[in-house]
Amino acid sequence: MKNIFLWILIAPFVASSTAAAQGRGNPPPMPTSERVPSSLMTFFVTSEPIGNGGNLGGLAGADAHCQALATAAGAGGKTWRAYLSTQARPGQPAVNARDRIGTGPWYHPKERLLDYLKRRLSRPIIQSEIHGDTLAEAQRGSNLTKEFALTEKGELVNGIGDPLPTRHDMLTGSQPDGRAFTDNADHTCNNWTSNSTGSAQVGHSDRVGYGNQSWNSSHATTGCSQTDLVSHGGVGLFYCFAVN
Amino acid sequence: MKTVLVLTAVVALSGLATSVAVAQHGMPGGTPMTFFVTSEPIGDGGNLGGLAGADAHCQTLARAVGVGNRTWRAYLSTQARPGQPAVNARDRIGSGPWYNFDGVMIARDVAHLHGDTIEMARLGNNLTKRTGLTEKGQIVPGLNDYKVPRDSEWEYSRTTPYTNRHEMLTGSQLDGRAYPPELDYTCNNWTSNLDPAPGQQGGLEAGPGRPNVQIGFPDRNGGGNGSWNSSHGTNGCSQTALNRTHGVGMFYCFAAN
Repeated sequence: MKNIFLWILIAPFVASSTAAAQGRGNPPPMPTSERVPSSLMTFFVTSEPIGNGGNLGGLAGADAHCQALATAAGAGGKTWRAYLSTQARPGQPAVNARDRIGTGPWYHPKERLLDYLKRRLSRPIIQSEIHGDTLAEAQRGSNLTKEFALTEKGELVNGIGDPLPTRHDMLTGSQPDGRAFTDNADHTCNNWTSNSTGSAQVGHSDRVGYGNQSWNSSHATTGCSQTDLVSHGGVGLFYCFAVN
Repeated sequence: MKTVLVLTAVVALSGLATSVAVAQHGMPGGTPMTFFVTSEPIGDGGNLGGLAGADAHCQTLARAVGVGNRTWRAYLSTQARPGQPAVNARDRIGSGPWYNFDGVMIARDVAHLHGDTIEMARLGNNLTKRTGLTEKGQIVPGLNDYKVPRDSEWEYSRTTPYTNRHEMLTGSQLDGRAYPPELDYTCNNWTSNLDPAPGQQGGLEAGPGRPNVQIGFPDRNGGGNGSWNSSHGTNGCSQTALNRTHGVGMFYCFAAN
């Protein structure tokens, strides 16, 4: 029972972290240079799913979704790619998510250059670090945190501990190193065309859940329908990266 | 669907949205606690009274919440000295698995905790802001929690328990082993509360003759990178220097048996 009182003591402050991060309460006037998304944005989480389960209309459909959301937010001048792999098919080689997204570094929708140069608290993500290409990089972990993985509107994505529904499952179809799976099982909802049978590999945008912290390859879904995705704490969101 | 039902049940039962983290991997009271973050620092900067003093702090905090029957060890390394070999934090903490206050597993074993292979390291262990709980079950306030300009002043932090205090003393490298002896990464093996002399101040890293300690983040989110055990150094070893970068001198405790 003792811990309940401690929870009561600390819960409001933990719960208020979201509000604090968004500057709610007594917000200072926002200069035009702080508009969201920032002109530096080269990474976001889709604010909305396509809504048809694992059927995204293939890679082309997913890329178009990224581009449409970016355009609506005023960042359509860049070329956006969905962070998704596809598996090899007869006469059709696999596509690795990590090879689709350019070279980075990538900045989140609220990035301001001053933050990066002066405070070191906000920083871009880079290819080798998010994929743990060396042992030290993998041990240190990715800087892609819940506070980094904002939607194109600059909003946090609900994760573990936030009000339900949880939306932290990100479709990737990828292994932790960002490459396509090479076995015969389905990890991509049939290369993003199935909304019924099959399975998709997902990561967690808040880095919490399923016993690991992977942002891109935490666990598989039990199916590919929209309902299957929702039952696991996702709605079919994915990551978008600007290649230029 | 199962997850959703469990989450819903726990929320309904407890009425506390913040405890949903409990539901995902375990239930309260299920597995005995064998890992915690100290709810309080010793309070003398990097002077913990050596490894023995730090272990005693773990043991005292554990006893206060009824788990003093185990042998508790602070997750700290010491550097080699003449006639005295280095001690690696990873070698002090038993073999696991370790569970937090909520019964959630932090890591299966030493290799999982540290990511000894690149495959394990890419997935990471299960220490997050939601699982890195104190012996009383509290989440450790971290980056973006209750941001106020004074949260890097010790006098303010001391009396304001919900300000950012996410820097855990470890004195360790990413693999959980001690640093070579030349530069200070352990506040002189947990006996120093000194700050750098004028002219010796530097960035958050070790330097010749500079009192310094390596820290990590239970919320995996801080200056430069998100390592839980080896992110960066400090401004010095005094209590005020630790607090300047949002630490208060807390550390990890593991049950070795």
